[in-house]
Amino acid sequence: MLKSHVKLALKVLGRRPFFTGVSLLGVTLTLLVLTVVAALFDHAFAPHAPEVRQDRTLLVFSLELRGERATSTGQPGYLLLDRYARDLPGVERMSITTQIQSAFTYVGGDRVRSYLKRTDGEFWRILSFDFVEGGPFTDEDVASARPVAVINTTTRDRFFGGGPAVGKAFEAEGQRYQVVGVVSDVPFLRLVPFADVFVPLTVARSDAWRRDLRGPFVGVLLARSRADLPAIQSEFRSRMATVDLAGTEFATASAEAETLFATVARMLLRTGPGRAAFGRGAGPGGYAVKFVLVLSALALAFMALPTLNLVNLQVSRALERASEIGVRRAFGASKAALVGQFVLENVVLTLIGGGIALVATEAALRALTASGLIPYADLHLNGRIFAWGLLFALVFGMLSGAWPAWRLARLHPVEALRGGTR
Amino acid sequence: MATAEMATGRAARSTGAAAIRLEGVEKVYRTDRIETVALSNVNLEVGEGDLVAVMGPSGCGKSTLLNLMGLLDAPSRGTVSLGGREVGSLPDRERSRHRNREIGFVFQTFHLIPELSVLDNVEIPLLYRRTSASERKSQALAALDRVGLSSRVHHYPSQLSGGQQQRVAIARAIVGRPRLLLADEPTGNLDSQMGDEIMGLIEGLNREDGATVVMVTHDPRLAERAHRTVRLFDGRQVQ
Repeated sequence: MLKSHVKLALKVLGRRPFFTGVSLLGVTLTLLVLTVVAALFDHAFAPHAPEVRQDRTLLVFSLELRGERATSTGQPGYLLLDRYARDLPGVERMSITTQIQSAFTYVGGDRVRSYLKRTDGEFWRILSFDFVEGGPFTDEDVASARPVAVINTTTRDRFFGGGPAVGKAFEAEGQRYQVVGVVSDVPFLRLVPFADVFVPLTVARSDAWRRDLRGPFVGVLLARSRADLPAIQSEFRSRMATVDLAGTEFATASAEAETLFATVARMLLRTGPGRAAFGRGAGPGGYAVKFVLVLSALALAFMALPTLNLVNLQVSRALERASEIGVRRAFGASKAALVGQFVLENVVLTLIGGGIALVATEAALRALTASGLIPYADLHLNGRIFAWGLLFALVFGMLSGAWPAWRLARLHPVEALRGGTR
Repeated sequence: MATAEMATGRAARSTGAAAIRLEGVEKVYRTDRIETVALSNVNLEVGEGDLVAVMGPSGCGKSTLLNLMGLLDAPSRGTVSLGGREVGSLPDRERSRHRNREIGFVFQTFHLIPELSVLDNVEIPLLYRRTSASERKSQALAALDRVGLSSRVHHYPSQLSGGQQQRVAIARAIVGRPRLLLADEPTGNLDSQMGDEIMGLIEGLNREDGATVVMVTHDPRLAERAHRTVRLFDGRQVQ
């Protein structure tokens, strides 16, 4: 039956090429936008190298300190992470790294800006960077505060004209570094592994950062298995209740160990300084769920107008099918069977649109990559994006097909055979 | 084969058992202001293997009667029984199932789906029985063979003459081996020669395959070829 309905759907689409063309254009444009957005999310959150163990990685990205008179929301400091996030049960490795900061270098008289990240030796064991030259700096380099650096290939090209860079030196923010390794570029949208220049944590000019509860640091926790994640999160949360805030104006400290997606969700869903990052009801994973709901609502809202357009087009074609509906009803089709048939026909249309949209998405992603709007982005279709495109097409097809199908199926068989719409 | 089984399973003339029975049937169409009585107190029994013609002037309720017998519409009052079971007031899904299993329709305007080939059109009733594709094809080919259209299975309706289209419609009506064949002016859109051919086919289905046939017609010549004639006038059964 499915084959028969699909065959008929294709023939019905061919009956009115103009209507079909208009419908397909709307479907394709809608799905193109949604699929490109999905591709950007995939680029930012999916487990691409070097974050190949993302499924068992947690981040401590935000810290909120509250007192009677003051509230501070920002990133955790080294002291907080070192004292309260180390040796959590179930954690295989833990790294402390800074967020990226701008660093300037003079190359041939030009002032070149790079994104610099200070990190430790574990960073290189949690993440799987692709080294094209040399290797990472070591725990000993970090302990000894050796001025060494790992740079990405684009920085190598900018600083050294594309030739081998290991062993060569450059200056950034008045500090001279020797290159020990070169890694492939990581896209800008990857929150944890992105930087142009990586240097040891310890090469900062002063060691005041070691004593701060607040600061520009991120804790990266690699769990032994995914099953350990809830226990790690729970233990870290309970440790936050024991943070020593003596000598500060704060009474409580709140921070969460969360997945990358939940971390970004929390960042994006904060609506202003008056709203706490760890507000009531947020709960562990609450922001991620809310973020998914917001994204789903946005996707549905985006589909609403083209859906209405498609519904109108399909309903307007309904009368042409009245006789067919009467015949099918006469020969035993139930209303439910007809609804199924017409929804399927609409899904066939949106799947064709989805197919065209996927081809157009690949072209759009290539154009976006070439434009340089997102530094180091290398956007392409992959299986996940394909699956998202398929899902969007199916949802779109069912949404826009349900109402016309219901209208058609409700036609009284006698009236339908007369070509009417009772 | 569908038609062969029909031939062995049913007698050429009525066996006495009722294929369909209408008792005290009334059909009233109501709008906000008007109430139109389309059929009033119709009592009719069609035996297995009967060939019955329904005649009467336009608007007398012939098609309404056929729609009620075909479970396409529900009576306002009275009962419709198919094979001894009251089916007139069943819910939509059940009525659909009975239509699919027990009734075949032939319409004046053929009502073939233009996008589908002859074979696909004939397969339609079997789609709603979850019959396998190979079985559907085999039964549809047998039905087309029965109406003499084996050589046109891959044609489309627009490539056929009116008579051939009605043959396809008859093949579609009999492919599911229904208990009852309902024909609403089956020759109304055909010239007399083609009309005779179609009537001959219907007679053959009745005589050789034992199909029970109820046929609405305006043509007295065709009605004469039926076993009996039911006459309606202003929604009432007058004969």
